[in-house]
Amino acid sequence: MADITFSSEDEEFFGKVGGFGVPKFDAVMGGGVPRGFMIVAFTQTGSGSELFAKQFTSPAEEPENTILISTNEAQQEIIRVYEKYGWPLDIGVRTVGEEYNASVLERDLLASRYRLEGFQLPDIQRLAQTRFVDTENRDFLTEVTNEVMALDPYFRAVVDSMDFFVQREDPSRVISMMRMLQAHTQMVRGLLLVTISSDGLPPGLRQEVAGIADMVLEFKVRTIGTDFETSMTVTKFRNAPENLRILVFRVTPEECITPETVERIA
Amino acid sequence: MMPSSVYTRDRCVTGIHGLDEILRGGIPYGSTVLAAGTCGSGKTTLAMEFLVRGALAGEACAHFTATEPSVKLLENIRQYSFFDMNMVDTGLINVFDVDVLYSWLGLDKATFDLDDVHALIKAIVDIVNTIGVTRLVIDSVTTLCYKIKSEQLIRDFLFTLGKKLATLGCTTVLISEITSATENAHWSSFGVEEAIADGIIVMGDVERMGHLLRFLQVVKMRGTPHSRAKHSIELTQLGVMLTPMLKWGAVSDQKTRWGA
Repeated sequence: MADITFSSEDEEFFGKVGGFGVPKFDAVMGGGVPRGFMIVAFTQTGSGSELFAKQFTSPAEEPENTILISTNEAQQEIIRVYEKYGWPLDIGVRTVGEEYNASVLERDLLASRYRLEGFQLPDIQRLAQTRFVDTENRDFLTEVTNEVMALDPYFRAVVDSMDFFVQREDPSRVISMMRMLQAHTQMVRGLLLVTISSDGLPPGLRQEVAGIADMVLEFKVRTIGTDFETSMTVTKFRNAPENLRILVFRVTPEECITPETVERIA
Repeated sequence: MMPSSVYTRDRCVTGIHGLDEILRGGIPYGSTVLAAGTCGSGKTTLAMEFLVRGALAGEACAHFTATEPSVKLLENIRQYSFFDMNMVDTGLINVFDVDVLYSWLGLDKATFDLDDVHALIKAIVDIVNTIGVTRLVIDSVTTLCYKIKSEQLIRDFLFTLGKKLATLGCTTVLISEITSATENAHWSSFGVEEAIADGIIVMGDVERMGHLLRFLQVVKMRGTPHSRAKHSIELTQLGVMLTPMLKWGAVSDQKTRWGA
């Protein structure tokens, strides 16, 4: 890989750490997340990780070098959340789930229709005139990897969530992709947040993913009486174990995710 | 008492020079005929001419190509003067790429299960029924059956397909790729096609005086008397020409008057 030189202006502008998008969290973590870190967030359903993923893009130091790659949500839903909290709308947003629905599921649906209902005359006429198979078998894992790898120094990116790829691809490919992303993030001093559901994740894969990450967060939700308590636990912080914390948080209309209590892990 | 007249089945006149004479008038309507041949023996040309002759008589024809892209097939067949591209353009001959059909049906996978086989049969039958196809060629049934792993399923596939096409009055030629056309050879790749087909036409080569001569032999044809002699095939500009093959020198390792 070619050496990258960073201008002193950039170094001064971006600093050694970048914000999480959650000021109170930044304060607890010594100012933010070190540039070049890949953060992996293991999540539970309903634990607020999707919101955190979007909030992480909100500092958007360079909107054109900031991207949110969502595999579950639609563009409209994402825009609505950004508008609600007043986050920048000029960042890059890619909705892989929507793309998948458009290209793969629509084709599957059509195939089911042909199989169930059969061909009508216009279908047959079109079939007789179609000489080549539409071979656009999209490799979303490679596409997403390339998209992040193409980002410039000091980028900020979120992949929410890796479940989409874990469920469809060979785990070894997913791990390779994450290693490449981690190396790129480190090399160009980017900030990358990757979320992955902890429900049903094989322990070996989880261990490997955690090993690649520079920082590991665990999002959890539990019920207390008739209430829910959401928390995030910092279980790994490369070279700064003093940052390991349990943070109980709530969602406010002004600040979105906001830590309420912070507990140091002994 | 006067003898009752002998019942004869209606024929699909192939229009191929010499073949209708061998079959005493043509292929009985609705038959499924296995055209089994070695590579380069003229199977595709024979099948295409079968369709063209039908199209010239105003019949709707269909060709499913699995061994070569339709673009290439049509380019190759254009060299024959009997073929006119207008027949394809006007829908008299409908050429379907099997890989496109697979893709449309979600069958782009390594092996087919029972549901997949039924989907394939339904698609072919739909096409035949909707556009009123009376002549159909599948080139080749060997390639189609490669994806069906069970012999029983291959048997069901061919039997059901043949039965449904016969009901629709469609005469079908299933091309089968074989590696040898000698007396001891199988006439199909999977061994079940030949048992299910109503007719078997074998095509191959014989070596004579250092030359490979193409031959055709009708081994079986239900519903009609026919010659079982070997006939030599010539692929000419005008189409396939069949002429009786002289007995001498038909097989290279037999002593002949010429070779002795």
